Amino acid sequence: MTRLRVVAAQELRDLWLTGRGLPLILAYAVLLSVTSYLVASNRALNFLEQREAVGLTLQVGVGVAALLVLVVAADAISGERERGTLESLLLTPAPRWVLLAGKGLAAMSLWLVAYVVSVPYVWYLARGTGVLGRALVAGLGVGTLIVLFLCSLGLAISTVTGSNRVALSVSFFLLLAAFFPTQLPTAAQSGGVADVLLRVDPVTAGLHYLSELVVRGRPAGEDLGWLVGPIVLAVAAAAAACTVGARMSLRPGRRA
Amino acid sequence: MPPAIACTGLSKSYGPRQAVQPLELEVEPGTLLGFLGPNGAGKTSVIRILTTILTPDAGAFTVAGVPHDRPAEIRRRVGVLPESAGYAEGQTGEQVLTFFARLYGQSGTQASATARELLDLVGLAERARTLVAGYSRGMRQRLGIARALVNRPEVVFLDEPTLGLDPAGQRQVLQVIGGIARQRGSTVVLSTHLLAEVEEVCDRVVILNAGRVVADGGIDEVARVAAAPRQGRVRLPADSVAAGLRVLSASPEVARIARSEARDEIVVELREGLTPAEAGPRILRALLDADLPVLAVELDRGRLSDAFLTLTADT
Repeated sequence: MTRLRVVAAQELRDLWLTGRGLPLILAYAVLLSVTSYLVASNRALNFLEQREAVGLTLQVGVGVAALLVLVVAADAISGERERGTLESLLLTPAPRWVLLAGKGLAAMSLWLVAYVVSVPYVWYLARGTGVLGRALVAGLGVGTLIVLFLCSLGLAISTVTGSNRVALSVSFFLLLAAFFPTQLPTAAQSGGVADVLLRVDPVTAGLHYLSELVVRGRPAGEDLGWLVGPIVLAVAAAAAACTVGARMSLRPGRRA
Repeated sequence: MPPAIACTGLSKSYGPRQAVQPLELEVEPGTLLGFLGPNGAGKTSVIRILTTILTPDAGAFTVAGVPHDRPAEIRRRVGVLPESAGYAEGQTGEQVLTFFARLYGQSGTQASATARELLDLVGLAERARTLVAGYSRGMRQRLGIARALVNRPEVVFLDEPTLGLDPAGQRQVLQVIGGIARQRGSTVVLSTHLLAEVEEVCDRVVILNAGRVVADGGIDEVARVAAAPRQGRVRLPADSVAAGLRVLSASPEVARIARSEARDEIVVELREGLTPAEAGPRILRALLDADLPVLAVELDRGRLSDAFLTLTADT
């Protein structure tokens, strides 16, 4: 575990002191400010109910943070490969899954910081609604599951692809695919197959649960079934990423 | 004591191209081995196999006495300056070395001490807290060598450590490499294109061509195997040159003689297969036996470059 801590600490320093962490979070804060302003304005015009404004802001926060984490995760190994820094890491006795997990932890830190940044916005929009507590708790839980799933996916893709550009493109495509069911017309979201799809996709299932809890005010335990997909897939994706990471090589496709 | 490196039947292919032909190699501990070959000869592939970055298609090897089926243990005992040694530009030299020392299991305090010691060894102590982004190419190479030493390795692999350096940078890096073998007692495998480097610092040379060892031995020995005929000059007083020509033309060590433009000098070409070390004393003895007052006998040393070009001529 010491090596995991060493790798994670190094990656955190790289991300936050000299890397893209701060600019990405700054952009995130600007985007959340604009979104919050727009939903607050709409609420004043009675276009959006106050709870809906909170739910929407949370969903945007989770979605954008997931994108940021995915970008960092997809660059984690393929970026090292392109910069010529991977070989030196592979030459150390540190297990390869540890290298991957350390990078994953650093990428996940973006989500935690993004979540903290989103708290004041949610607090402002949720004043007087009584949903602040559950919105923050559910947002953290659901967001962590979705982000863990996408981060693991990004890391695995980054490990097996030869170029950074391909890793980023494939990851971005998968992110869009994961969000796609949320954009389906309401009519298309009903029925057996659609229901399975919505429940299996961690993004749609997680955001649905969040919406039921925050916007409709349903009890937390009532829709827990919607979290089965996100929990199972987040854990499975993390395990798959570690398995793929253990076989990490200098050139993807060549055994090492 | 087990050999520092021992491999038998090691081979590696990339698709239809065989990068490493079945390779047999044994290197004694403490050797400074020059690993030569033209581009694409398979040097980097061999180094990557021996450092467990690549898996061979066939064959077996041990490094520092550890068999190839224990790659993590091999990695613990070797140090490597890879061909493409990149660095995190936002870290200082000290941070780079401390991080790697910690990956080898050293505590924070030990790792810091190791980093300072190695930066001093490679002459970067004063730039320890400078970002790597501000390092010259030579400084980066020296930092890479320091990184290869953080675990006090028994075997050090250096892949093109002087590539792209100016003569002063090459000189500094070579001094560091010589020091690794002498002071630390490590076995060093130096892969390079620069033959002068090998002649200067190495005890033994292996020439690889098209994935196959085409020469292996001491530098003089390898040079003798394939080198062009050696030349030399014998200086005598001007009135003894004619007698000298007679003696040398009868000498079995000499293939050809010619009078130099300098009045007191004879140019000799040695018989093929003879080294200067073998021929020099015999020529001198023949001249002295003829009562000739010899002023000097200078024989060209066998040149590794000749051997290299001859042995790799078909690529």
